[in-house]
Amino acid sequence: MMPMSEMQACRGTLALKAAGRTVAMVMAGVALATVFAAGRAAAAGGDPMAVVQQTVNGALAILRNQQVPAAQRRDQLKQIIAQTFDFTEMSRSALGYHWKQISGDQQQEFTTVFTTFIEDSYLAKINDYSGQQVQFVRQSKDGPQYAQVETNIVASGKDPIAVNYRLLSENGQWKIYDVTVEAISIIANYRNQFNRVINNQGYPKLIADLKTKQQSLAASLGDRH
Amino acid sequence: MPDAAESDSIRVDHEGMLREKSMRLVGESVGKSRAFQGAAAVMIACLLSAATALAQDIAPLSTNPERQGVVQQAEQTPPGEDQAVYSDPLAPFNEAMLTFNLKLDDWVLRPVASGYAFIAPDPVRKSVKRFFNNVDVIPRFANNLFQLRLAEAGGEVARFGINSTLGVAGFFDPADAWFGLKEHPDDFGLTLRYYGVPTGPYVMWPFFGPSTIGDTVGLIVDGAMNPLDYVVPWYVYLPVDAGWRVGEAVNYRSLHLNQFEEADRYAVDLYGAVQDAYLQTRVHDTKGLKD
Repeated sequence: MMPMSEMQACRGTLALKAAGRTVAMVMAGVALATVFAAGRAAAAGGDPMAVVQQTVNGALAILRNQQVPAAQRRDQLKQIIAQTFDFTEMSRSALGYHWKQISGDQQQEFTTVFTTFIEDSYLAKINDYSGQQVQFVRQSKDGPQYAQVETNIVASGKDPIAVNYRLLSENGQWKIYDVTVEAISIIANYRNQFNRVINNQGYPKLIADLKTKQQSLAASLGDRH
Repeated sequence: MPDAAESDSIRVDHEGMLREKSMRLVGESVGKSRAFQGAAAVMIACLLSAATALAQDIAPLSTNPERQGVVQQAEQTPPGEDQAVYSDPLAPFNEAMLTFNLKLDDWVLRPVASGYAFIAPDPVRKSVKRFFNNVDVIPRFANNLFQLRLAEAGGEVARFGINSTLGVAGFFDPADAWFGLKEHPDDFGLTLRYYGVPTGPYVMWPFFGPSTIGDTVGLIVDGAMNPLDYVVPWYVYLPVDAGWRVGEAVNYRSLHLNQFEEADRYAVDLYGAVQDAYLQTRVHDTKGLKD
């Protein structure tokens, strides 16, 4: 049997250890909170570049982390995208003048379908680019509310691809509302496609086509992992 | 009918060029420079007549009734957003031609390009691309000159000199690698846009792909700058020209083997995606010339 003093000492160390663990956890929490606060401050402080860097680097880090199962990585990516992409604005813009002609319910429906479509497109695209480097070139502001961040995707032996992000400030938070690839605005490109489908075949056909396309994209994502 | 007027002027353009060429064929003592001047004069006349017809065609963009509501809420839309709808009077023809081109690609171009890509390694095909690029110096030089971009025009001459010699007939690009001389792509379609000539409606040509009426005039003018056409008879240069373009197309496709598959993967309406990508690119290229 252990002497009393030793038992007390033992309990003492245990307590110390427990206290140490708590302190460590608190410290980690503070550190995390600081990181988040810094991120928000950067966003609020009028730095669109920081927002784009966080998004792109965050996405690349998740992609490169092969130890995490694919499905889990996809959820993490979706979270990152959801924080910085303004899907409502994208949906409004992509529908062009048709946005005001459909009902509120249809606007909701379209936003949901188009959001999933854009998410899956972005995931599919970023999957292809995982081996390449992203250079953050510059940011430029267009008034207090709008900004553009220019990036280049570079791979050895290939011409760099110019990918620019267009952002708008919402309640002090910069959000991406359009992406241009080689000067082609993705949202404008979809607007032309959606205009044509609605004008030739009607809005229900557009929703059906979008769903079909999104499902085939999602399926291709599943195959890749 | 503006469409008819345009196709008329295009046809006149063809006839004018054919007339020029047959004159030379008959062996009249027309100097090569005079033939070139004559061709240029005919084309400028055609362009002027085409311009008035084109001006009528651009109108539907702004007279679209849907556009009125858009103009009112313009201050709410972010920069870079243009809600105008492309006027597309040739859509039925274009849709048929897009289908034709996709089938042509499916059955002929992609299989040939894949086979070629299998035999020729990537660096070889990139060299071939540079070779074709180097030979096309004259339209690049001339159009930079037309837009008074003198440094760029001079750069094209220097690049041609360096790459044709040090670059072994253009298969390599030491002008860029060693002297930092970048290529300045330019064409007559861009010259027309540069001077504000309306581009007319979008058109999808079989074999040649997406264009506009104005850019098509540009293609013809740039094609007429090929010096080969003026030094050898037509039964030589026609097949040579055609073979040349086919070679260029196969080489291009071999370097972009999954381009169409990629486009189709993300497109909800492929016609609209191709149309907008082409038109956005041309507008952007024109802006680049003015910067």
